[in-house]
Amino acid sequence: MIKVENLSKSFGSLKVLQGVNAEIKKGECVSIIGPSGAGKSVFLYCLNGLEKCDGGSIYINDDNICDKKTDINKIRLKMGMVYQNFNLFSHLSVIENIILAPVMVKKISREKAIETADKLLETVCLFDKKHSYPDELSGGQRQRIAIARALAMEPEIMLFDEPTSALDPAMSGEVLAVIRNLAKLGYTMVIVTHEMNFAKEISDRVFFMNEKSIYESGSPGDIFNDPKKPATIAFIRKLKTFNYKVSSHSFDLIEMSSRLKLFCVKYNIEAKKIDYTNLAIEELITYILNHCYDKKQTPEIDITVEFGDIDKKIEIEVVHDGKTLNPFDKISYTPDETETKSDTDNTDDTDDMGIFIISNISSGISFSGENGINRFKIKI
Amino acid sequence: MNFFNTVYESAYNNLIAGDSYLYILSGLKTTVIITLAGLFAGSVLGALLCLMQYSESKILRFISKTYIVIVRGTPILLLLMLLFYVVFAKSRMDAIYIAIIAFGLNGASHIAEIMKSALESVDSGQVMAARALGFTKFGAFYNITLPQACEFARPVYQNAVINLIQWTSVVGYITIADLTRVINNIGARTADPFFVIFIGILIYLGLAYAAYLIFKMTERKKRVRR
Ligand SMILES: Nc1ncnc2c1ncn2[C@@H]1O[C@H](COP(=O)(O)OP(=O)(O)O)[C@@H](O)[C@H]1O
Ligand SMILES: [Mg+2]
Repeated sequence: MIKVENLSKSFGSLKVLQGVNAEIKKGECVSIIGPSGAGKSVFLYCLNGLEKCDGGSIYINDDNICDKKTDINKIRLKMGMVYQNFNLFSHLSVIENIILAPVMVKKISREKAIETADKLLETVCLFDKKHSYPDELSGGQRQRIAIARALAMEPEIMLFDEPTSALDPAMSGEVLAVIRNLAKLGYTMVIVTHEMNFAKEISDRVFFMNEKSIYESGSPGDIFNDPKKPATIAFIRKLKTFNYKVSSHSFDLIEMSSRLKLFCVKYNIEAKKIDYTNLAIEELITYILNHCYDKKQTPEIDITVEFGDIDKKIEIEVVHDGKTLNPFDKISYTPDETETKSDTDNTDDTDDMGIFIISNISSGISFSGENGINRFKIKI
Repeated sequence: MNFFNTVYESAYNNLIAGDSYLYILSGLKTTVIITLAGLFAGSVLGALLCLMQYSESKILRFISKTYIVIVRGTPILLLLMLLFYVVFAKSRMDAIYIAIIAFGLNGASHIAEIMKSALESVDSGQVMAARALGFTKFGAFYNITLPQACEFARPVYQNAVINLIQWTSVVGYITIADLTRVINNIGARTADPFFVIFIGILIYLGLAYAAYLIFKMTERKKRVRR
C-alpha cells in the first residue's frame, strides 16, 4: 500500500530525512516513535505530499508521489490526516467542518454529505455537538471531530501526528478509544505517538525514528521489550545518565557523592538504591586507587551511572586505565576466603571488605580488561 | 421664550434661508461620493499591494513596501495639494476626481497593511489541514484563509473607513464644496456659525454610525476566535 524507498528531505542546509525505507501493507497499523526533532512529522507530511521529497520515492499503491507528473491532489484524497493541535476550521461549526471537503472537493451533494457526517458524529459520540463551534469544545472533543472530518473523505489510509500530545490523560483516553476502533475496522494507519503503551497495544509494527531515518523497526514486542540498537534501548528505557571523572588520588569524594545524590533525587530514585549506588561507587573507586595505580601515577577513572526511568534499573559503569585486576573473581569463587587470609595487611583487609559489600548489594557484576582499559559494570 | 426665539432664528438663517439645506445636502453627497469612491479605489489598490508582497519577485515586493512606507507617511493634505497643484495642475480634471485619487492612494497604503496582517493572523495549521483534505492552494485560500482573514480585518477596516470619512473634510483646500466646506460657507454668510457647525458634527456622527451599521450587518453570527 505504501512503499518508501531511500527518501530524503532537507530544509535548506538542514537534512531532516535521509535514506528512509519502509513498507506498510494494507490494513496494517504502524506506530512511529522517537525523540522530538527526529523528523517524524516531516515524514508524515512527505507521505501525503504536503512536503515535497528531495530524493527517493514514495509509492502509494502504484503511484510515485515524489514524481512531479503524479497528480498529488488526487492521491491525497486517499489519505486522512489528524494533527496534534486539531486544526479544525475555527470559523465553521462542527457539521460544516466535516462536510466542507466532501462538498467542495468531492462535489458530493450537501444532503448526502450531512447524512454521512451524522453517522460519523455518532461513531465519535458527538452528535449533540453538531452545531457547536470548535472553540466551544474540549480538546478531546475537538480531536474526535478532527478524526470524523478526515473520515468523511473516506480515506484508505489514516495518518496521525501525535493526536494526543495536546491532551490531558482523560481526554487522551477518549481519542485513543476512537483510534483503536479504526484499527479494528481495518484502516491502514500510521500513528506518530508518545504514548508507548498505546503504541505497544495497537500497532502491528513500530518504527523508531532517529538520526534522520528509521533507525530500528519491528514488532511491538521486539521494539519495546527487546530493542537491539543502543539509541533505541536508551529511548525505550528513558535512560538518564550521570558522569563523573576521577583524576587525582585526592579527589573530592564528598562532592562526587553529593552530585550523584542530586541526580538520583531528580529522577525519584528510591533512597535505598541511592545509598547502594553511592556505596558501591565509593568502595570500587577506593579499591581501584589503592590497587591499580601507583601513588605517583595520575589516575583516570570514568564513572557513568545510567538510570532507566521505565524499568527503574541502575547500572554503574567504571572505566579506568590502571592495572588490570578483577577483585570480584576471588569473592565469587571463595566467599569466605577473607577469614582464612591472615597475613594480608590492613588496607587490603578493608578493601576486600568493600568488594564484598559491593557484591552483596549489586544484582550483577561484570568485568573486562583489554588493552589497558578496564571496565566494571555493576547493576544495582 | 426668548431662548427658543433665538434658536428658531438661528435654525432658519442657517438651514432654510437661501435653500441652505439643499446646499448642505449637496455637500453631504460630495463627501459620501469621495468616501465611497476613495474606499473602493483604496481597497482595489490595497489588495494589489498586498498581493505584491506575496509575490516571488523581489522587485514587486520592494515596490509595494516602499510605496506603503512613503504614502502612509505623507500627510493626506500634502498629497492632495501635490496632485492638485503639481501633478494635475495642467489637466482640466474635476477636483473631485483628484480627491478620489488622493484618498485611493492614501487608503491603499493602510488597507494593504490591514489585509496583510489579517492574512497573517490566520492559523496556518488550518490551511494545512484543508490541503490535506484535498483542497488546492486556491481552494484552501478561498474557503479557509479568506473568510477568517475578513473576520480579523473587519474591526480595523471599519476604523479605517471612519477615519477616511473624517479626513475627507480637508478637500475644501482644493476648492471642493464638501460637507465641511459647505458648513464653513454657511457659517461665514450668517455670521452665526454655532448652529450649523453643530449640525455638521451631527451629520458626520450619522455617517460614522451608518458605516458601523453596515459593518454590523455583514458580521457573521459567530465571531472567529482562535
Ligand atoms: N517547515 C520547516 N522548515 C524548516 N525546518 C523544519 C520545518 N519543519 C520541520 N523542520 C525541522 O525538521 C526537523 C524535524 O522536525 P519534525 O519532523 O517536526 O520532528 P518531530 O520528530 O518532532 O515531529 C526539526 O529539526 C525541525 O526544526
Ligand atoms: Mg512532530
